[in-house]
Amino acid sequence: MVATDTFAQFARRMSSTQGYPYIIIAVTPNPIRQLEPDALRPRAEAMLQTVIDGLTLPPAEIERRLKDVARQQIRPQGVVRSSVPV
Amino acid sequence: MAQAETHVRGESAAQLLRRAYEQAYEAGWTDGLPIIPADRDTVLEFIAASGRDAEELIGVLPPRKGRATVEVLAINAVMAGCRPEYMPVIIAAVEGLLDPSYPLELMQVTTNPMTPFLLVNGPVRQKLDINYGTGCLGPGWRANATIGRAIRLILYNVGGALPGVYSKVAFGSPLRYSYICGENEEENPWTPFHVERGFQREQSTVTVFKASNFCNISGGEGVGPEEILRQIATNMPPMYGGGDGALLLLGVNHARSLYEAGLTKRDVQERLWQLARLPIDHFAETFSSTECAAGRGDVHSVWRAHSPDEMYVVVAGGPGPQNVYIGAGMPQTRVIRGL
Repeated sequence: MVATDTFAQFARRMSSTQGYPYIIIAVTPNPIRQLEPDALRPRAEAMLQTVIDGLTLPPAEIERRLKDVARQQIRPQGVVRSSVPV
Repeated sequence: MAQAETHVRGESAAQLLRRAYEQAYEAGWTDGLPIIPADRDTVLEFIAASGRDAEELIGVLPPRKGRATVEVLAINAVMAGCRPEYMPVIIAAVEGLLDPSYPLELMQVTTNPMTPFLLVNGPVRQKLDINYGTGCLGPGWRANATIGRAIRLILYNVGGALPGVYSKVAFGSPLRYSYICGENEEENPWTPFHVERGFQREQSTVTVFKASNFCNISGGEGVGPEEILRQIATNMPPMYGGGDGALLLLGVNHARSLYEAGLTKRDVQERLWQLARLPIDHFAETFSSTECAAGRGDVHSVWRAHSPDEMYVVVAGGPGPQNVYIGAGMPQTRVIRGL
């Protein structure tokens, strides 16, 4: 998954509701909507290795790397109630 | 949608209701307000009132891809405090929200607090006591309060758009509790909104708009049609995210004044479209250039709407020099069936 940093925790919660709490998220600083293609390209290149990791690492390794991060992003203190199980 | 069955006990009716509310709140099934427990018999009564099968699929609601069956809609309607006979209105509204041209998924996930606004036309207004006159957008009428609330609960519980997970809404909006009224067809000197859209006057319809705000516009008594329209238009500035159009809920006094001055509804739309503009240097360059590129401006000014067609005019409310402007567009109208 690719997201800007502002919305990474939302992305984690969304993936969690779909059964993927430990998905690797490639993050780039927000905002990006104003960026021209020349400025976007280095942002994309900077995320490439993370994307490759997400596609190639064994699930157990991904889970090991992300367990603490995922817990904090999905259920930080004061997280909203939700009818969507997260 | 995964449905949960829970059992709640209480020593008294009051205690039972309070515990049911607490349970629903903790489970994330409410908008924060108390709910009516959706017990099996009541849900069956609501399904029967819909005239449809419990398992009939009205649609799949984004972003969670929740299945909005008649039974699921009934559960949320019960929780919202609806009467069974409101079910056809709720179903028709959900059908409108699910039109492929209606931006429901965007509305469910964006940081902007945009929300559906529901306009009800036809005999159903009297039958269900849907307020279209004095106080029609405020509290005090069960149908207005609970039909709109049922839509919000459906968007939360079926669509999954409770803030913090799928919805990234930064502030939210009080309009998201319930945003609905009827058209005051009885005091509308022109053609009702649904008839303009090709439906029969005797048909009952619900129209869902993509709505962004609420603005009450006061003033403009005894000043003639041009000044009435100028007073309204100067309170309808171009706005970020509002490029889909403007919905004017024209008060009955002003509607009568404009009509008696010989203006048609089309005249009102065109004059508002001409007046609702501001000089281009009033705005940030990025905003004005975006609006001009979208056909809502020229080298001199930025316009509220692309054309008069996007200045929607509806008559509503009670007596007084008041009107309501809603940044709203993309209307979807559906016939309310099975009343």
